[in-house]
Amino acid sequence: MAADAVTARTRLPLAAWVGVLTGAAIMLTPLLWTLLLSFKANEALVGNSAAALAPPWTLENYSAILGHGQTLRWLVNSFIVSLGTTAGVLILCSLAGYGFARLDFPGRRWLFVFVLVGLAIPGQAVIFSQHQLFAIADLHNSYPGLILPGLTTSFGVFFMTQYMRAIPRELDEAALLDGASHWRIFTRIILPLTVPAQSTLAVFTFLGSWNDYWWPLISATRSDMYTLTVGLAAAQMNYAQTSGLGFLMAQAMFASLPIFIVYLVFQKQIIQAMAGTALK
Amino acid sequence: MRGLAILAASVLLTSCGGSERGQGLYIQRFFGECTSDYGTATNVAKAEGECGIVTTMINAFRAAHPQAEVSQNVVAWPGYSQLTSQMAARQPPDVVTMHSGVIPDYAGKDLLEPVEPYLAAAGIAPAAFTPAARQGVTWNGRMYGLPWDTHGGLWHINLALFRQAGLVGADGRPILPKSPEELLAQGRQFRERTGKPYLIQSLVGDPAGAARTLYTYMLAQGAPIFPQPNRIALDTPEGRRVATLFRQVTAEGIGTSNMDTPAAIAAFMNGEGGVYPTGTWMIGQFETEERTPGRPLHRAYAVAPFPKLYGQNVMFVSGHAWVVPKRERTVAERQAVADFFRFMAARNGDWARTGHLPALRAAIEGPAFLSLPHRRDIAIVASIGRALPDGVMRQSAVEGLVGEEMAAAITGQKPVQQALRDGERRVNEFLAEVQ
Repeated sequence: MAADAVTARTRLPLAAWVGVLTGAAIMLTPLLWTLLLSFKANEALVGNSAAALAPPWTLENYSAILGHGQTLRWLVNSFIVSLGTTAGVLILCSLAGYGFARLDFPGRRWLFVFVLVGLAIPGQAVIFSQHQLFAIADLHNSYPGLILPGLTTSFGVFFMTQYMRAIPRELDEAALLDGASHWRIFTRIILPLTVPAQSTLAVFTFLGSWNDYWWPLISATRSDMYTLTVGLAAAQMNYAQTSGLGFLMAQAMFASLPIFIVYLVFQKQIIQAMAGTALK
Repeated sequence: MRGLAILAASVLLTSCGGSERGQGLYIQRFFGECTSDYGTATNVAKAEGECGIVTTMINAFRAAHPQAEVSQNVVAWPGYSQLTSQMAARQPPDVVTMHSGVIPDYAGKDLLEPVEPYLAAAGIAPAAFTPAARQGVTWNGRMYGLPWDTHGGLWHINLALFRQAGLVGADGRPILPKSPEELLAQGRQFRERTGKPYLIQSLVGDPAGAARTLYTYMLAQGAPIFPQPNRIALDTPEGRRVATLFRQVTAEGIGTSNMDTPAAIAAFMNGEGGVYPTGTWMIGQFETEERTPGRPLHRAYAVAPFPKLYGQNVMFVSGHAWVVPKRERTVAERQAVADFFRFMAARNGDWARTGHLPALRAAIEGPAFLSLPHRRDIAIVASIGRALPDGVMRQSAVEGLVGEEMAAAITGQKPVQQALRDGERRVNEFLAEVQ
């Protein structure tokens, strides 16, 4: 009886179903269209892209991508850069967040404001000096050169600080009374409680880093150091949107496949992270 | 965990210091990557398309000159962000592909080497190039690149529809207009007899196309588009004449107004209009259609330079070139660049199979080029082609602004005079900032 009542309360009304299905269709149609185009020979699409709706379909665009000697290298580069950036951001932002949220030190407020100012400065505004700096340090065309700029995220510091501020201070105080050091409190008490926030930040950082185009484009000027986004762009012929449409769409699908897999594998954690963050 | 950290650290650190450009000739180019098809191919004659032909040429050069130790970097189109970054990091490539309209931007900042010494070492006289190709790489009286091709606007024509419209002569060639009045008259006749638009115009998201039309027909009237290198003049009687003509074409339904490039290409290939004005680079694609039975263009494709509607028979053109960024080079490295120039120039005719016009007179006048389909009809572009004055900076960005406003005029989004004034103002403000 009670279960029936719960089911009745959570059942969506028809209008909501229609709305949800319409929204899903609107979002899925471009994806399915891209997928269909990617299975069609370029020549068949030049005159009429609707040819994608009818057979024959082919895997030749995907074999062209995989047949390129450096695609796997670019894929590995993207993974190294995205995972490295994500790990670095999580470590740095957690530490900084703990410092701002829990520690008292001179100039803390001003330093926090200074970090927040970073939110208002677009990356393009510092691109020249950043490029010069990495040139002097001889870090272009290297993994650190691709990872380090992504570690300075004001949003991440702000996000972790706010999350940690919401954790009751009584937890730290009890631990301090028991003689725990700040490092111990951070690693054993605070950090485990921030897993939802860490997950959210990790997802955003990984996605941002995976899709980044501008910095890898100008920092990695040697093809063996390209990330997937830059490599696939370099592999495009001129007028790819007309005479190479199938290949272009296959590239788009191929580049988004790892992200799709990440979502598929971690969807439970991602949803929990989003819900947890929203509730906080 | 510790092992993982050590592994991660070693991966990161071993990649450091990776900005060494390496020994030997470092070639950087666009035109795409196709090593899956042409990874080790060296037979240029068998290669197809821009990417296939240039990849095969560089493979062949590498095989013929092992001492040059060639390395190649393919950049995302058009690659200027990367090139500028490399120059800022003091590690530019040795030879780079560049559009002729971009050369003043780099040469004007002393970032490119004049190439006459390399040409001399390669045994190539500057006079060996066509006037259009040579003008394209010249800045301040010096040549800053090995001219590689000339490309410009062409009228791609559906002969079957032209025949239906009564616009094919006894010789089987299309009858093209010789004045603005004839253009309108033929367009009306075409529309009446075929029920289709005479001109398929790509006016959405393709500013270069609209700019090509305006530049070409202003040049044909002898108008100085740039009275000074940092000042454009579009709102002139000549400019208004051109914009008004094409506005009328669209207003009367003689030309389409709602197509982007892919839509326009598809429309032309599906026989939905008479003429598609676009560049040399589409010839190959349309030739394939011409050879395919059952397609609307089967045995019904012709191509011609933009018709002469005003006083002079000239047209706006651009081109690709191989430039040499400035840096210290050893004698051996300079020799490698010269060898590369000699090798590529000798194969300039093969590049013409892409649809672009060869930059060397010998190639464009040679039997190999003239025996290619339709090339005899467009070879004249190498003589009548005109680039913008070489002092004009940021030609690509300027073309974008001009094209946007011209498209707005043609489609009727803005009155002609306002569009030309807006174009003039936007370009002049932009040039004032970048000079």
